[in-house]
Amino acid sequence: MKKGVPLFITFISGFILIVALFIPHEPFGSLQERFNDWYIIVSGFTLILGIDSLLAYHYRKIKRKEKEAPYSFALLLTFIITLLWGIYSGIKHGNPFAPTSTFLRYFYTYVFVPLQATMFSLLAFFIASAAYRAFRARGLNATLLLISAGIVMLGRVPKGEDFSPYFIAVTFILIAIVCILEALPRISIYERVLFFGLAIISLILIFPIGIFLKTKLPLLSDWIMNVPQLGAKRGLFIGISLGAIAMALRIILGIERTYLK
Amino acid sequence: MKEFFEKISKIDRRIIYLLVFISITIPLLIKKGFEFEALPEVKNAYEFIEKLPTGSRVLISIDYDAASMPELQPLLEVMLVHLFKKDLKVIMMGHWPLGLPLGQIALEKIAKEMKKEYGRDYVFLGYRPGIAAVMLNMGKEIRMVFDVDYKGTPIDSLPLMKNVHNYNDIALLIGFEAGAVGDYWVQFAQARYGQKIILTSTAVVAPDLYPYFQAKQIEGLIGGLRGAADYENLLKRRGFAYSGMTAQTIIHVIILIFIIIGNIGFIALRRIK
Amino acid sequence: MIKIILFLFLYIPPLPPSNIKANDYPNDAGGKIEIKWELSPSDSIIDNYIIFRQEEIEGKWSLPETLEILPRGTNYFLDSNCKNKVKYRYFIRAIKGEIWSDSEFSNVAVAHAEWFHKKRTSVLILLIIILAFLLYFVRRAKKEELFIRKITGLDAIDEAVGRSTELGRPLLFILGLGTIAEIPTIAGLSILKRVSKKAGEYEVDIIVPCYDPVVFVAAQETVKEGFIEAGRPDLYKEGNVFFLSYDQFGYAAGCDGIMVRERPGAIFLQGYFYAESLILAETGNSIGAIQISGTTAVTQLPFFIAATDYTLIGEEMYAASAYLTRDPLSLATIKGEDYVKALLIIIVIAGLILETIAFLTKNSLFHFLKNFFEVI
Repeated sequence: MKKGVPLFITFISGFILIVALFIPHEPFGSLQERFNDWYIIVSGFTLILGIDSLLAYHYRKIKRKEKEAPYSFALLLTFIITLLWGIYSGIKHGNPFAPTSTFLRYFYTYVFVPLQATMFSLLAFFIASAAYRAFRARGLNATLLLISAGIVMLGRVPKGEDFSPYFIAVTFILIAIVCILEALPRISIYERVLFFGLAIISLILIFPIGIFLKTKLPLLSDWIMNVPQLGAKRGLFIGISLGAIAMALRIILGIERTYLK
Repeated sequence: MKEFFEKISKIDRRIIYLLVFISITIPLLIKKGFEFEALPEVKNAYEFIEKLPTGSRVLISIDYDAASMPELQPLLEVMLVHLFKKDLKVIMMGHWPLGLPLGQIALEKIAKEMKKEYGRDYVFLGYRPGIAAVMLNMGKEIRMVFDVDYKGTPIDSLPLMKNVHNYNDIALLIGFEAGAVGDYWVQFAQARYGQKIILTSTAVVAPDLYPYFQAKQIEGLIGGLRGAADYENLLKRRGFAYSGMTAQTIIHVIILIFIIIGNIGFIALRRIK
Repeated sequence: MIKIILFLFLYIPPLPPSNIKANDYPNDAGGKIEIKWELSPSDSIIDNYIIFRQEEIEGKWSLPETLEILPRGTNYFLDSNCKNKVKYRYFIRAIKGEIWSDSEFSNVAVAHAEWFHKKRTSVLILLIIILAFLLYFVRRAKKEELFIRKITGLDAIDEAVGRSTELGRPLLFILGLGTIAEIPTIAGLSILKRVSKKAGEYEVDIIVPCYDPVVFVAAQETVKEGFIEAGRPDLYKEGNVFFLSYDQFGYAAGCDGIMVRERPGAIFLQGYFYAESLILAETGNSIGAIQISGTTAVTQLPFFIAATDYTLIGEEMYAASAYLTRDPLSLATIKGEDYVKALLIIIVIAGLILETIAFLTKNSLFHFLKNFFEVI
């Protein structure tokens, strides 16, 4: 009974909404919006649950005088100040975000916005370290990823194509060096000729590829973004959508019950 | 030799962070930029707005917050300048309640600069919860969602809103997106009601929105700081986004240099093993 | 001569639009009629069109009611304020200055609600096919074990929990920014159940900071159930599952703080993520934790692949609960999904061939497959 009733509600709601997708006639046509409205109202109340949990968690830390208790105290203090200040501005100006309210002018503009922007700007540093660590030529797939990342990174910024010949020169010189180092210990004449030949070809290709990229890099970058990237993404979207359908069917039919108590 | 290659394949992340910081800060302080051509999707957006008849109503949706402000706020301001220059009427609303004050700040600032009058040239409607419900109801009658503006003034008393009932009365919708709301705009406003849409977004979200531009479901797409810089260039009003382009180019080059150094170390160590 | 031309220009009325056709707007809940017409031959010189409507009341037509003023060049209007089963007719006035001319009346149109959305027929057919595959594989699942390929990220869960136990560090499970209504969050919860059970078996703590209050409630129960299933309900600590913040970057900052202070041995990032994904993944990497991520957010997948040790890509996350529990019914849905995907691939290839032929032969008949799948 404890699980039976919620499962029955889940099944009926899911079934009705699927049917409603195909029937524009009332009351089915507006069911999706109505369910959305109900969800918004209910979820508004659940925020109270969350705030209670947050305050209780930090209050427990202060009460037990744990190591990080001062930070918990700072959180509770900030919570109270924000709440009271927002209520005060709301009462005085009708809306805490009214142009003349001190809440907007001081708290939001000089505390909230800079904090949020700072957290977001951490991404610039993290992407640099993640790219440095992840883009290694471990195998064929990783090398293709590395090359396309390099092309797109330079192709999407102004004047990036002007730098591309230098990167090409460095890359092909390195390839030539690796080929020569591979050739030297080889005993077989054919293998030596092959690797030396590859080294020479790498050095020769610097100029034409450098010129090609200098003129066509943005187009190549756009092509990578608009064709293979988009194709792969669409394939992923289709897979994810089908996965979501399978998961939704499992939930509606009661096979998946993890969300229930 | 082996230690050298080990060091370069595992450079301390703090060194990387320091170099990133220097290479972003110096160009922004020097404020030197270079010429570049606008992307086609940005040009499309610009030209669509250019072709709008005087007096057309444009709905702007603020769907970003303070975290995305550095990317989208300069673009919002330059687009508002464009819209007001062409005597288009601006209606602003949003789905991210914490970002709406940013939209309001930009709107008030540019409206003051361009000497526009509230209620006649621009209106700020505010926020209503619901995203999909809001979009669907706006397609039937805007007053079902926004019967008053952000100050509580009935919108029927605002001259701009007198004949505005639904998407049929709105020539263009511009969404400023930092999340997934852009998909909802296309799904509900464009697909169901045929609303013309231009989407602007952070650089991370832009690839998600390219399919819509390719499928001609949106009139233009302005992604990231590059899109903002392109728009500033087209409008001949170079600002923060334009000067940020130099920093962006340099940082991309620096990251590529690090990647090459890391690969040299990686390949050398593999050969030694 | 000029005065005559000016007289003609100013005082001769413009030609009206013609061929006004009014029809019930298809595939809706009623209340809408769409009106189409051919532009006035004088369209380039007129100021506006005004569209008028008359309603039939007790057998008589009402006085014309102004609906909308439309700019020149418009040849379509959607009247969204009609009553169902009431007769309407329309006419359009072309105006130039103070002079105008009216078109003929349109045909009589009646708005009504549809019982079936014809444009979604293809969706219904696909849904029936999905259900058919599902039923077939459910029957097969009862007779034999269905094969699913190896998913490395899920196999690594045991390794990750074991590593944390050896180090004497807790686990950290991050459910992302989704709400309970979002399927990635439910998929994340099913993985959390499995991880909690393992944590109970290995006697290691699990910390679950939550973004959404409803998800927090569900997560609490999930973790408790996991420990109960492991036979160690005494190890469950209520304070380890808590609501952290409803703000994206506040949540990311809080999780980063937990990572740096608690130094978990393994971090699970399973759910729907936005821009904070790389902040979380890189911080986790900097403390040396083993990281298993999974998301359906396509924009965040590259960051997870670059920064974490194992990544469940898109539908692999949805398959997690079936993969981990080996429940026959769940496996049947995965198999059914895969076969539908194969069918979609065939349809896409067929569509590609047909559209190419249509382009080369300029014959619009070959667009039938594309038209069939066009859904509103």
